[in-house]
Amino acid sequence: MIEVKNLVRTFNSGDRTIKPVNDVSFVLEQGTLASIVGKSGSGKSTLLSLLGALDKPTSGDVVVDGVSLASLPDSKLTEYRRRDIGFVFQQFNLIPNLSAVDNVMLPMEFAGVRKASRLERAKELLEQVQLDPSKHDRRINRLSGGEQQRVAIARALANEPKLILADEPTGNLDEQTGDHIIELLSSLSRDHNTTILVVTHDRVLANKTDRRFRLQQGKLTEEPARERAVAATA
Amino acid sequence: MSVLARSVGNAFRNKVRTAAVVAVLAVAIGLALAMLVANQAVGAKVQELNASVGTVLTVNPAGGQGFEGGGEPLTAAQAATAAAVPNVSAVVGTSSLRLRNAAAAAAQAAQTAQTGQGGPGNQTGQAGPGGQAAATLTTSLTAAVDAGTLGNRNQQANGTTGSTGTTRQPVRSLPITATGIGAEVDTTGKGLNITQGTGLGDYSAASTGALLGTTLAEKNNLSIGSTFTINDQTYTVTGLFDAGTAFGNNAVYITLPTAQTLAGTPGELSSMIVTVNSMDNVAAAKTALQAALGSDKADVTQGQNLQTAVSSLDSVKNISFIAFIAALGTAGLIILLIMVMLVRERRREIGVLKAIGAPNRTIGLQFVLEALVLAALGSAFGAAIASFASNGIASALISSNTSTGAATTGRGFPGGAGGAFQGGQRGPFGGASQLLNSVTASASPGVIAGGIAAVFGVAIIGALVPALLTARIRPIEVLRGE
Ligand SMILES: Nc1ncnc2c1ncn2[C@@H]1O[C@H](COP(=O)(O)OP(=O)(O)OP(=O)(O)O)[C@@H](O)[C@H]1O
Ligand SMILES: [Mg+2]
Repeated sequence: MIEVKNLVRTFNSGDRTIKPVNDVSFVLEQGTLASIVGKSGSGKSTLLSLLGALDKPTSGDVVVDGVSLASLPDSKLTEYRRRDIGFVFQQFNLIPNLSAVDNVMLPMEFAGVRKASRLERAKELLEQVQLDPSKHDRRINRLSGGEQQRVAIARALANEPKLILADEPTGNLDEQTGDHIIELLSSLSRDHNTTILVVTHDRVLANKTDRRFRLQQGKLTEEPARERAVAATA
Repeated sequence: MSVLARSVGNAFRNKVRTAAVVAVLAVAIGLALAMLVANQAVGAKVQELNASVGTVLTVNPAGGQGFEGGGEPLTAAQAATAAAVPNVSAVVGTSSLRLRNAAAAAAQAAQTAQTGQGGPGNQTGQAGPGGQAAATLTTSLTAAVDAGTLGNRNQQANGTTGSTGTTRQPVRSLPITATGIGAEVDTTGKGLNITQGTGLGDYSAASTGALLGTTLAEKNNLSIGSTFTINDQTYTVTGLFDAGTAFGNNAVYITLPTAQTLAGTPGELSSMIVTVNSMDNVAAAKTALQAALGSDKADVTQGQNLQTAVSSLDSVKNISFIAFIAALGTAGLIILLIMVMLVRERRREIGVLKAIGAPNRTIGLQFVLEALVLAALGSAFGAAIASFASNGIASALISSNTSTGAATTGRGFPGGAGGAFQGGQRGPFGGASQLLNSVTASASPGVIAGGIAAVFGVAIIGALVPALLTARIRPIEVLRGE
């Protein structure tokens, strides 16, 4: 369970102060698939970075399974990112001179997983995101944007995190591959009780999630719940 | 993929830059290693010299330093007195002769008469200790040391090189040192290194055998069994020796009585080489010896001729050590700067690693290892550079530090004789530069390994600062645009 309490993040840009996240509160039960929509620059990525402990809030707190992130020292936050969080970055942020498999293996290496099982699992994950096996050993900077996006998703899943934060995970994918990724994410939340928060501009994707939020001028509002089954057939 | 594999991969990410960095590092490391090798070589030489002169005292007639005929010659009785001094283990008398090529001497005498310049009897610039005028005799031998190369400007002004040509004899040729010795030792008391043939057998008896320096024998096309003359008396070469220096090899050793007879001074000694039984007793023995012989009669010196050489070499040793440290520091600085640059350049990527949960120490280690990969490459090429350059560097260091200083002779030049010497021949005989030939700065694997270990130590220190800088990079860097 993740509880977000009065979260605020302000930036000073020149003489102006901007508040992309301004007093945001919500609670997500474990296993929920949720989405956030909002205009460009509305603060969606900023909010995700606070939930993923990449950044520290100006005020407020995020409590994960009863543990307040604000109270944790940096080393514990690193451990939290490694163990509990799977982050899919808007810009993918893969290591360009490593292969797809090596990129997926990285979080497992940091978590101390044995090399043989790292490799096995990395290949498995890349197959799950439908990356052609011939491209598993290819260096990242020789993959297309959509291919990189799928490697980024596979990497986020590597350590079986309990919270996946995905920033526009289908932005670079064709409809069919995008649908597959959505299916992959919802099966994770369904079958593995993984909490998933997806930032998206894609209404179809948003409509398939259990809960839908909208971020506007730093404020988060929830849109009326829909039946998942209905959304899936829409 | 391990941290190490990633570090190696990162080191080669930008191949052109890596090549440039490795090249610069190789020069710095090569210089450092060459300096270390030079330092070790000179250090070893200094130790060797100290050991060789360590227990030897030289006794010369009193008041003889630098002047001809200063003081009474030493006698056999004084040798006995010296031998009776406590802790003295051996006393070897020597009698020095100065040999001149007969033809050259004649030519020079003629020229001197005309110009009134220099010539025999000019007593300036005598470098060696010893006050007794060594007898100058004529010989069929030609000196192996080319006066022209020894910086005697007077000589060069005369337009001759002193040793070339059969049609035109040099106007002034260098003398050859002939020393009568009472044992098989050279003038510094070191055992003679006989490379061919045999010694003279009984050094206390007259004999027509002679030992020639290798270069002198070569110059005169002599080998074991060949003959030559001194004052029309024929001598046979029984052995060749290598003194290790050009000057030392331009010499002849005959038995002491033979030399005394030739000089017409039976029972007299030019100098005595006194060996003390241990290093610890040298100082006491020196004092006792001086007291026993009387300071008005004899001068006791302790390896004095080599002292200047040793101190010159010591300064070379210090300079090379400082240069080693400086070059090592430069290598460390290069690594530091390049790693700081790399950390700045890869800020975002470091952010990514942190965002996906890499601990600070893993990232730091990755950068240190990358620096070590660069250091290893730099060391490999640097060691190659050093193995080619160290001899040249050692020579350059020694010659630039000793060219003016040492005014004493390297090998206890039997001094005192006015003879044909003009001033200005000190340089080439300057102790340390004579020793130059014998300092071979060969790059021993052990020294190179030690130097490379130091390079790695410095590389780790240099890489530690940027590695610690990575700890301050925040994971949020990942969201910043490039
Ligand atoms: N480090 C920063 N310093 C100053 N302003 C920032 C910083 N990071 C983000 N911002 C600003 O905060 C606002 C929200 O940015 P954010 O990246 O969260 O938007 P977003 O909703 O993810 O947009 P998009 O849909 O385009 O990805 C933007 O106006 C951005 O310019
Ligand atoms: Mg964004």
